[in-house]
Amino acid sequence: MDEAIARYPSDHRRSAAMPLLHLWQEHFGFISDEAVPWIAEKLGLQPINIFELVTFYPMFRQKPAGKTHIRVCRTLSCAMAGGFELMENLCASLKIQRPPDGDGMHNPITVSADGNYSVEFVECLASCGTAPVCMIGEQLHEQVNPSSIGDVLRNQTSNIKHQTAPHPLEHRLIYKSIGRTDWTTDIDCYLRDSGYEQLKQALTMSRSDIVNKVKNSGLRGRGGAGFSCGLKWSFIKPDEKRPVYLICNADESEPGTFKDRYIIHEDPHQLLEGILISCYALNARTAYIYIRGEFPEGAKVLERAIEEARQHNFLGKNILGSGFDVEVYVHRGAGAYICGEETGLIESLEGKRGYPRIKPPYFPAVLGLYMCPTIVNNVETLCAVKHIIAMGGAEYARLGRPNNTGTRILCVSGDVQRPGYFELEVGAATMGQLIYEMAGGLRPGRKLKAIIPGGSSAKVLRADERFKLKVKQPDGSVIEQEMSINDIPMDFDSLAAAGSMAGSGGVIVLDDSRDMVWVLNNINEFYAHESCGQCTPCREGSLWMQKITDRMLHGGGVVEDPHTLKTIGDNIAGRTICAFGEACAWPTQSFVEKFPEEFAARAQKPVPPPLPPEYTPEELIEEESIPTVPLAHDPGWEKAGAAGTV
Amino acid sequence: MSEPNTPMFNVQIDGVWHQFPKGTRVIEACEQAGSYVPRYCYHKKLSSPGNCRMCLIEMGFPRLGPDRKPELGAGGKPIINWIPRPQISCAQDVSEGMAVRTNSPLVKECQRGVMEFLLINHPLDCPICDQAGECRLQEFSVDFGNSKSRFLENKVKKPKNIVLGPRVTLDDERCILCSRCIRFCQEIAHDDVLGFVDRGSYTVLTAHPGKRLEDNYSLNTVDICPVGALTSTDFRFKMRVWFLKETKSICTSCATGCNTIIGTREDVIYRQTPRENDHVNSCWMCDYGRLNFKFLEAENRLLELQIRSNGKLVAADWPAAIAQAALQLKQVTANEIAIVASGRMTNEELWLTSQLAKSLGVQMIDIVPRREPGDDILLSEDRNPNTNGARLVLGSTSEPGAKLMAIAEAVKSGQIKALVMLKENTMHLGISVEQLAQLPVFIVMNILSNEATEKATVVLPACGFAEKHGSMINGKGRLQRLNRAVRPPGKARDDWEILRDLLQAVGGGDSLSSIDDVFRRISETIPHFAGLTLSKIGDLGVHILEMEELPPTHPSDEKAIEQAVAIQARRRAVGQQVHEARKALGVAID
Repeated sequence: MDEAIARYPSDHRRSAAMPLLHLWQEHFGFISDEAVPWIAEKLGLQPINIFELVTFYPMFRQKPAGKTHIRVCRTLSCAMAGGFELMENLCASLKIQRPPDGDGMHNPITVSADGNYSVEFVECLASCGTAPVCMIGEQLHEQVNPSSIGDVLRNQTSNIKHQTAPHPLEHRLIYKSIGRTDWTTDIDCYLRDSGYEQLKQALTMSRSDIVNKVKNSGLRGRGGAGFSCGLKWSFIKPDEKRPVYLICNADESEPGTFKDRYIIHEDPHQLLEGILISCYALNARTAYIYIRGEFPEGAKVLERAIEEARQHNFLGKNILGSGFDVEVYVHRGAGAYICGEETGLIESLEGKRGYPRIKPPYFPAVLGLYMCPTIVNNVETLCAVKHIIAMGGAEYARLGRPNNTGTRILCVSGDVQRPGYFELEVGAATMGQLIYEMAGGLRPGRKLKAIIPGGSSAKVLRADERFKLKVKQPDGSVIEQEMSINDIPMDFDSLAAAGSMAGSGGVIVLDDSRDMVWVLNNINEFYAHESCGQCTPCREGSLWMQKITDRMLHGGGVVEDPHTLKTIGDNIAGRTICAFGEACAWPTQSFVEKFPEEFAARAQKPVPPPLPPEYTPEELIEEESIPTVPLAHDPGWEKAGAAGTV
Repeated sequence: MSEPNTPMFNVQIDGVWHQFPKGTRVIEACEQAGSYVPRYCYHKKLSSPGNCRMCLIEMGFPRLGPDRKPELGAGGKPIINWIPRPQISCAQDVSEGMAVRTNSPLVKECQRGVMEFLLINHPLDCPICDQAGECRLQEFSVDFGNSKSRFLENKVKKPKNIVLGPRVTLDDERCILCSRCIRFCQEIAHDDVLGFVDRGSYTVLTAHPGKRLEDNYSLNTVDICPVGALTSTDFRFKMRVWFLKETKSICTSCATGCNTIIGTREDVIYRQTPRENDHVNSCWMCDYGRLNFKFLEAENRLLELQIRSNGKLVAADWPAAIAQAALQLKQVTANEIAIVASGRMTNEELWLTSQLAKSLGVQMIDIVPRREPGDDILLSEDRNPNTNGARLVLGSTSEPGAKLMAIAEAVKSGQIKALVMLKENTMHLGISVEQLAQLPVFIVMNILSNEATEKATVVLPACGFAEKHGSMINGKGRLQRLNRAVRPPGKARDDWEILRDLLQAVGGGDSLSSIDDVFRRISETIPHFAGLTLSKIGDLGVHILEMEELPPTHPSDEKAIEQAVAIQARRRAVGQQVHEARKALGVAID
């Protein structure tokens, strides 16, 4: 425990609160009533400070789980692939009576009568390409067959599934070694592959040289916002007196995104090298890797990589004789999507609830971690830094398209035959190429219905839409071109022009078997669960939208519902502290707008009178079920919930 | 507070250009310009988390030309580039050329949206809610909200009727999670006990079961709660706030003299709340002072005049009692009389007391000091509200309280034959009931009866702080005003009138027909009061006495600490001596 506390500045012991809670839970199995005041006292805090954390982060449990704890992913890609069926079958074979998901914050943990097993629904485990997935203990199980639970439980070793050789359209820089059979996470393996050469090279360069290289490369952040990395770095003053912190955002949790997972688990040294180069460039003496709690293996891999790197003097005191001291620490989250937002992450790292900060004044580069200048970069972004040093900024900028430079990893999941990851030069493939040529196209007999192109918060694109995009001609002139969804190039600017965003690179494909109300309800459930609850519109609006789609799915939709949904979204987007507002509003706004016929079909009841008689949503639902004309069957919740299809 | 040399910024608010000093919050600037921006989480004395989103406005900055200078439009004023997204006005200070719109269609839409969100899970139980009538949710809902609800779902259920501490009750369903109370506890009360648990729409305000909200400032959280979530356990369900008559006054429970509003109805006090005064108490007051009004209705309240006749106390009327008291005092010589006054008396009362002493030739006169542990927030070590008044007005040369034990000894030794006890309990001086019984003259003017009152030769029922007018000087030398909130019960009478009558009966004093006359006499004789009248004191008081200021202590400034310690020690010494002496006698301390 003292070692965990020593990782943070002595006047910021509060940061050790989450590590101590993790240690306590690993040792005792759950956070007991005694744990809270004990840890508070250990860190010189008040009990409420710890209690706030335990209840904010769903991975901390206040009651014991079973000897084997199973977490089943319930988020979109897994739900479409049978996550609900998996949970049902697990409960049946383990004789667990799961209560219906009722009114409450977190999905409940249910323990079997003999105490041997417990199950819990969790939000996206960032392995959407191998859906459905579940975690048994700390092991991830992928492509689980919901109908052979016995195999799942017997075979308690994880095996990360890999697609075979890279597709010809791919350009692998960061993913060069991912999936190679001769590849291990050892530093020796990495060194044989000329690892840490770029760190050595960087240490001979001046700081401003590196920053300029990154600026010239045109690298845009790969976490979701697509902000220029070089510009972000240049906010740090070269003569900064306060300590500068670098934080690697490894809280990958945007549904549909699973690119960082493979870097962390299979090529930790590449990430570490990127971090160390960046630390040197920013004169940051301390870096934290904020890794999501659901990556326990990843945290171990990184810890080991850090130790190995320390033995080779790549980090620690006076690295490689350069006179530069740097420390890198791993900090584990505990199940909060909002901690992927950079200021929410910083608050979480400071040992508080992951409440994003208001900007202004709390821009991380000015008032970040411990009110010091802080740069928060995504895993993929930091890896790209290594390749920028290797290639040079201008050379890197030649990859991809102008203002959309470099390579990026796209994750395809949902209704395609070969879901997975593809590293492409930005914009090198169109949506059609990505889905039909690289991801194997749709299942036989299915037609494309919609695509969510940049993680579940991106606005949905309808398959039969026509998009008007400005296309730059070879002679430099710009013409407006009308195109189908298949022709949209997968780059930042084109997807933005198409009315959505490249986001985190998670492409979720929906075929014509999907009920869009069901899909939206699944997404809404995710955002209602993950809203931190700090600011009003998102806190109240996210749950309200989920309650409406849930009622519509149960057959209780009223004619006003689509309009209400749309306006709730309008009232959230742009009015919240952080971008979560947009993230939770955009799906609703776009689904309702683009699939009006499906929403109208489920919203046919008259609006009940506002005052007496009193009614409840249940009463609305209990009335005779409404005809859902354009759909073949009446989608009972259980059926739809289990399979995600009509 | 802005320094004299603060630069001024030009700010456009709703189309009109104003000037504000640097450092003015945008939300405050709007309010000063007459465009009130609704807010829940923002409180000017606390940090700004920006979480309620009620104060969203449109904001813009001057468009800069190629020369980096603002482009000027019609009328020579800068052209504004408006930020497309609404911005919160509670977390930013004004800057040169800034422009805001507080009533544009977008702003109104934002306000309607936020109001709708705040109300969907709110229980709407105004008919049984104590906050009704002073509830921001009610007020802003009318001003900025929608007239009907679109919410068809079940509301989120949360805990109700939670005892957060001995004085505060919480209803989580009413809570809008603005975090004002949490920030108050962290930033002002330095007692970090409140927090949010759970997440999203299920977030709940609570305290850890092992540590409740029981510090001496807990009731301030009730004041700043914009809705009915936090209520005062003492006040809840007692009275609708719109029935309360509000009287501006000050708290008399210590030398800080927090400014207050006394809420009364039909001569009953229902609550005291702090009134903002940045020179004294900011927006806060301690629970001890706030609830210290119940004694006015105590069982042992003195309601009748009494005169000792044939060894028994019998009822009397005011003229008879005053005449009797004067007669008794005239039967002894000046050096056989002692007057014990109180640091809880007003300047006017103390001055009349000094005139009484002068008229009788009495030297033995003092007040009872009250020194108890204070805190670094508001509660002063000096629990007398008007020690400084006694210093200036009572006419004693020594530090207030210094002569007290000598007086007590003189009473015990029999040297003193007549004791005049004004608003103090003799038992605190270590004089036993038997010794009091031996006194030929023992005149008591007080609010409550006690064992000593039984032995009095004349009992004069007087008024409590909320029943009278007058002025006091707080520990920092600020002259402040008490106002009458309720009428005194029974035959109790305004203290200054009693003293004036007594003074006249012993042959001193002349035409003092109102308390203003008394104050005028003070202002004519004591330089600190020169030029003042009771009405000139105003609601926020006047600084009249330079105290030995405690230098601001900084951990690194050892000299300042030394100095502060020395001053404090000197002030404390007198009180401590009396305190110790009382303790040695085993006397109760109130």
